[in-house]
Amino acid sequence: MSDLIWSAIAPELVLVILSGLILVFGVWKKPPLRSMAVLVGAGLVATWAAWGLQLSRLQDIVDAGSFGALAFNDMVITDGTAVIARLILMVILTLAVALAWPMLDEIGQRSAEALVLMFLATAGFMLLAAAANLVMAFIGLEVGSISLYVLAAVARKSRLADEAAMKYFLLGSFASAVFIYGVALLYAGSGSVSIDALRSFSGRVIVSPGVLYVSMAMLVVGVLFKVTAAPFHAWAPDVYQGSAAGVVGFMAAAAKVGGFVALVRIVGITYIRFAADWRPALAAIAALSIILGTLLALSQTDFRRMLAYSGIAHAGFILVGVAAGRSANEAILFYLAVYTVQLVTAFGIAAIVSGPTSSGSPFSAYKGLASRSPFLAAGLATTMLGMSGMPITSGFIGKLGVFRAAWEKGLEWLVVVALVASVAAFFFYLRVIVDMYMRDPDEETSDVAPEPAVAGRVAIAVAVVVTVLFGLYPSPLLDLIRNVVS
Amino acid sequence: MDFPMLSLLILVPVIAAAVVMLLPKERTELHLPVALVLSLLPVGLGGVLFARFESVAGFQFVEQAPLIERWGVSWHLGIDGVALPLILLTTILIPISIAASTSIAKNAQLFLVMVLMLEAGLIGVFSALDLIVFFVFFEAILIPMYFIIGIWGSENRIYAAIKFFLYTAFGSALMLVGIIALSVMQQNKTGVSSFDYTVLLGLEIPPATQAWLFAVFGIAFAIKVPMFPFHTWLPDAHVQAPTAGSVLLAGVMLKLGTYGFLRFNLPLFPDAAVRFAPVVATLAVIGIVYGAAVAIVQTDLKKLVAYSSVSHLGFIMLGIVALTQNGLDGGVIQMVNHGLTTGALFLLVGMLYERRHTKLIADFGGLQKTMPIFAGVFLFSTFASIGLPGLNGFVGEFLVLIGSYATLPGFAVVATAGVVLAAVYLLWAYERVFTGVADKPENQDVPDLNLRETLIFVPIIALTLVLGLYPKVLLNRIEPSTAGIIDRIEATTDYVEPTFVIGEPSE
Repeated sequence: MSDLIWSAIAPELVLVILSGLILVFGVWKKPPLRSMAVLVGAGLVATWAAWGLQLSRLQDIVDAGSFGALAFNDMVITDGTAVIARLILMVILTLAVALAWPMLDEIGQRSAEALVLMFLATAGFMLLAAAANLVMAFIGLEVGSISLYVLAAVARKSRLADEAAMKYFLLGSFASAVFIYGVALLYAGSGSVSIDALRSFSGRVIVSPGVLYVSMAMLVVGVLFKVTAAPFHAWAPDVYQGSAAGVVGFMAAAAKVGGFVALVRIVGITYIRFAADWRPALAAIAALSIILGTLLALSQTDFRRMLAYSGIAHAGFILVGVAAGRSANEAILFYLAVYTVQLVTAFGIAAIVSGPTSSGSPFSAYKGLASRSPFLAAGLATTMLGMSGMPITSGFIGKLGVFRAAWEKGLEWLVVVALVASVAAFFFYLRVIVDMYMRDPDEETSDVAPEPAVAGRVAIAVAVVVTVLFGLYPSPLLDLIRNVVS
Repeated sequence: MDFPMLSLLILVPVIAAAVVMLLPKERTELHLPVALVLSLLPVGLGGVLFARFESVAGFQFVEQAPLIERWGVSWHLGIDGVALPLILLTTILIPISIAASTSIAKNAQLFLVMVLMLEAGLIGVFSALDLIVFFVFFEAILIPMYFIIGIWGSENRIYAAIKFFLYTAFGSALMLVGIIALSVMQQNKTGVSSFDYTVLLGLEIPPATQAWLFAVFGIAFAIKVPMFPFHTWLPDAHVQAPTAGSVLLAGVMLKLGTYGFLRFNLPLFPDAAVRFAPVVATLAVIGIVYGAAVAIVQTDLKKLVAYSSVSHLGFIMLGIVALTQNGLDGGVIQMVNHGLTTGALFLLVGMLYERRHTKLIADFGGLQKTMPIFAGVFLFSTFASIGLPGLNGFVGEFLVLIGSYATLPGFAVVATAGVVLAAVYLLWAYERVFTGVADKPENQDVPDLNLRETLIFVPIIALTLVLGLYPKVLLNRIEPSTAGIIDRIEATTDYVEPTFVIGEPSE
């Protein structure tokens, strides 16, 4: 058992141990949230340290693995992509915990559950991103997804939240089933469930060649569901509108990171020989997601629904990179990093504006926000500009990266579609800014001045600085991704 | 590398904006003076640029540092004789706009921050020599202008702000397609991606590719100019924008379009430039006549000035696509002239509005008697705009006309009508607003320009006279660069500039 390389899963280990501690401590002692904060803070620091350890040991892990960077009986792969995916997940976890604090405060006793679910979801998606075996990927996917289903209803306050959680659970389970069926068919077709099952594939199949195509389609569809790509997106708006405000940003972001990294591996490693088949299909799904997400986002009256639809469009933008193939991997990771930070921030601000356990966040609540809470308005404005891909924000660099890669690979039409949609998308991103800066508040909200708690304030400030900094000078992050990934 | 003058020039307004932002919110009396004083620093730096600028072709004050090495993006700045006048114009119009913004009541602090950020962006656009850096600045200036129109504009401001933003963003998206395509072409050719303007000039692009690249860049810039039929955002934006917004929009931002044609469309796609020159010239001439004709029938003074911009920018475009030395020189100098005169006219309309809260021509009459200084400045600006010899407008229009007559004679003849029409709409407007008897009681005691307002116009009037009487001071610096553009077109295509040259206007 020489390949039990613990540092290959160090961050997940810390997160799981931390979850256990919180659960025990929380259930037995029922401590006030304040003392829990110490444990959570220490745990997050430990997770970061574990990640740092992993990064510094990256070369050792690669050398010690039985095959390249594989560990745990070829279940877990430790490569740059996995390390960066963990980094992104930890960033959004840290931001999300800071932004969710008012909600945790409000739900009292259940705050321990919420925290545990967030940590377990993170660990699950980390494993999904690091899975070298599709059964492992399924376990990671399910640990992550099931935690999110429960998290959706953690505030347990409104019927909308129940509906959201139920819908998410039913459709999510269905997608997971599709995914595992795909794994089974891959096994039927190749005799392996390893991520590189078809690496030495000779072309002789056990059942029939069609099986492999079906397995590919099912694996891809299962993951596309999780990342809210059209036409597998229908659940997203209801879920993101209805779920507990404090954690919905985390829910949306974590699933996207894990899902996209898994997708990149599935199409880029498992089915790389079928690139000629999946490339046009993914390009079409990308175009559909972009167009549908953008068009539907235009007509929303609720900020969180709008974010959900814009998330569908963003899934499309990232798919543009996935369709471009391997050369876009760094651009995809950069895009995921900056977009998910913006996503968590935007939902976090929505939770501050509409209340930490609210279901929904109507646009009218944002009217005149700039005069009531200048800090929040500036934060949200920057986030919206970042999401829209406005130059000087990191969103632009992300888009530039994936579009450039797609253009190089001959997907010119897709780039044009994506760019036209980006312009249309300005309309709904700017709408929030219009409401905040250019309209007067409604009468009932005119003297409401929502203010974030200290932790939330810091999180928003960090997100804004990161968004602008990596927009003006993206090299540090791009270089980190490149050095680690290659 | 020399001292990074251009980076400093971009940074100073950003720092100024930060300083204004950090001033205590309740000390409202401090905001504007501090911003005004700080905005004078770039004027001084601009003066240094002007003094140290050598009248030779090529880029000066060049600085370069890698930004994203993998994609070949670098912080590459530098200016030539085309960019220099526009940077100077920007630095001069910013303090003027700030000084004219005393009537901004709501959150003036944020307004001043936006104006200063706009300045940084504009200087960045005119000095960027990397296509991504250019694009970032080109887009980034939308944000402050969007806020300026949307927050401090008049009733219909939100509609105007969004229309302005979306129109320009659409053009930019097209241009981004072209930029990406250029970098991929460079990568396919040399194996190394680059967005560097001076590197991309070395690409030999096949004519068919040049055609569509010219089109995507061209549409982006044509929207910005704006050229007919992409002009419809302009009247809305101008009429709704606060005075400072209109001044900067007309004075500088429209020049981004014409500058873009000169900087990118002509040198990068010379073959397409020669082929499409008649098309662009047609749109330019339609713009000249259409803008003037619509200006004549306006009842709103601000709209009249806005449409006059469509007409004047048509002249500049005609000069550029004439592809002659005189035409290009005239185009560049006319960019500066238009910035000064239209800036002055928008300032005047704004001041009139502050006094009477109307912009309708029919509401005025006989103002000459009650506000003689104001009327004098207005008449002076009108003459400059019409192109009265001795004032700056004449030099530019004359160069454009003789320049375009050499290659596009038919267009030049029609464009001349625009000169006549300009006299019609402006002088007629002057007559209706200022002459006659002040028969409306509210027009009988309108206060004249006060000292602050008069001082605002002093630099504009001085520059109008200097450029009118001694244009060589600027032309000297412009000519080597415009000659370089013509040389490049001649070197890469069959095009030969006609030797038929009338000669310089006598000084």
